[in-house]
Amino acid sequence: MIQSPAIKIFLNEVGELSRFTGRFFNQCFKPRYEFKEFIRQCFVIGYRSLPLVALTAFILGLVLTMQLRPSMVDYGVESQIPVIVGIAIIREIGPVITALIFAGKIGSSIGAELGSMKVTEQIDAMEVSGTNPFKYLAVTRIIAATVMLPVLVILGNAISLYGSYLGVNMQSTTSFSLFWTQVFDSLSFSDVVPSFVKSFFFGFAVGIIGCYKGYNSNKGTEGVGHSANSAVVVSSVMIFIIDLLAVQVTQALGLN
Amino acid sequence: MAKRIINNVKLGLFVLAGLVFLVLLLYMIGKDQNLFGETYKLKARFNNIQGLVVGNNVRFAGIQAGTVKKISIINDTVIEVTMIIDTKMKNIIRKNAIASINTDGLVGNRVVNIVPAHNPGPFAEEGDILVSRKAVATDDMIETLSKTNIDVADIAADLKITVQRINSSTALWALLNDMSIPENLKVSVANIRSATLKAGTLADNLNTIVSDVQEGKGSLGAILTDTSLAKNLNEAVVKIKTVADKADELAVELNKMAADIRQDVNQGKGTVNALLKDSMIVIKLNTSLDNIQQGTEGFNQSMEALKHNFLLRGYFRKLEKKKQKMKPE
Repeated sequence: MIQSPAIKIFLNEVGELSRFTGRFFNQCFKPRYEFKEFIRQCFVIGYRSLPLVALTAFILGLVLTMQLRPSMVDYGVESQIPVIVGIAIIREIGPVITALIFAGKIGSSIGAELGSMKVTEQIDAMEVSGTNPFKYLAVTRIIAATVMLPVLVILGNAISLYGSYLGVNMQSTTSFSLFWTQVFDSLSFSDVVPSFVKSFFFGFAVGIIGCYKGYNSNKGTEGVGHSANSAVVVSSVMIFIIDLLAVQVTQALGLN
Repeated sequence: MAKRIINNVKLGLFVLAGLVFLVLLLYMIGKDQNLFGETYKLKARFNNIQGLVVGNNVRFAGIQAGTVKKISIINDTVIEVTMIIDTKMKNIIRKNAIASINTDGLVGNRVVNIVPAHNPGPFAEEGDILVSRKAVATDDMIETLSKTNIDVADIAADLKITVQRINSSTALWALLNDMSIPENLKVSVANIRSATLKAGTLADNLNTIVSDVQEGKGSLGAILTDTSLAKNLNEAVVKIKTVADKADELAVELNKMAADIRQDVNQGKGTVNALLKDSMIVIKLNTSLDNIQQGTEGFNQSMEALKHNFLLRGYFRKLEKKKQKMKPE
């Protein structure tokens, strides 16, 4: 029916991913919750990612401010830098950059971890021993990623804005309270809420794609590398696609 | 196990920090929109809200007082803006305060500005409608500017013609190029200077005269400063006044006399009245006049008789001859 093998592979992949997502929703609401493992995964996925996210967010805020500055000075609206940087970070750059960093760190680690377990047949062994491997390995990781990314995004935004504050102060002077007043005055709920909701979807996409890729890896150790790599690539692309959808949805709901 | 607990504590801190920042962010934003804290509603009606939207700030005398809650169209010319105002402003905003829509900065968001009226009124309460004032809209400004531009263009065109005329005027340029004019001007200025000097001296002299007069020197000074003269003048004036009073009395007397005479005449007293009013006298007078006439005729006849008398005939003939002698001449 479908001639091109590439399209066939792509559609097969989409179908498999959808089936995997369905399986996740099926499993996650059924009893026997792996709560301890979930907490452990939250620690690994969330807390361990904080230094990386904090560093990138700080640099991002600082650089964004310094890059914006010349054009703003040209237009004579230097005083509006906090407003513009605030809106840019909260609405778009904070969630997306944090999610991409998160995809790079967590997507690859989940993909590699689950891939190697799959390749070394630990998952099969787990199934034999009576534990539900999907529940224990995939569901906990996916929920942890979904819940932890928004927390990272919020913290990242705060650090980013602090970086921006330093950036403003490098070439001119503003008081800490004036900076924050300007940022918060320009923001409204329609800026914060959609970006916060969006980050849950980013986290979910990273988690589910990482688990899917790891869970379906094959061909030995080579497959592990492949699954880790493709987990990062696909989840990064997914983040942008979700971002695109999110902006359409907020526009349609009139939240802009 | 211990390590696991430590990890859990770290995770807890991490999540709490995230939540705190989120709550802080939402609170800071919500604070501006008065979601937390007590508020009351005020309304204002405009005929053009110039792009004001729900959520825009409301300022009282420049201070953040609340936000726009609702915008509803009453009819095609009236738009009602409902604002939620912080309760703290309840004892500040008065009923007669004036609301207007302005722009925050040059290109910023729209804001509703409430300014107090000059005379105090009662405090505004929930649901009160404030007086609104039409703000200066950018469109109106531009419209005015375009009118001004047209005027400026007209003026520029006129100015151009004027300048061209000045440029082409040979007389003016000749005047400007004439080197003798400055010389003449110099001389004139020198003359003016000497005239001014003279005027100065004149003024000095005048000054001296005035001071002399003040001190009572000369006849003018005497007039102005001598107190006895003033006294005499005063007496004279008093006398004149008495004379005038007497003249008044005289006039009154005369008046009275005239009135008496008139009365006498009317009432038939005195000879004049008799003459005027008695008809018998008239008849008698007529008869007398007739008698006189008859007497005169008699006299004439007597005179004729005398002419023909021999004693006097010679005299009359002489008279006749004299008359004839006179005629041929």
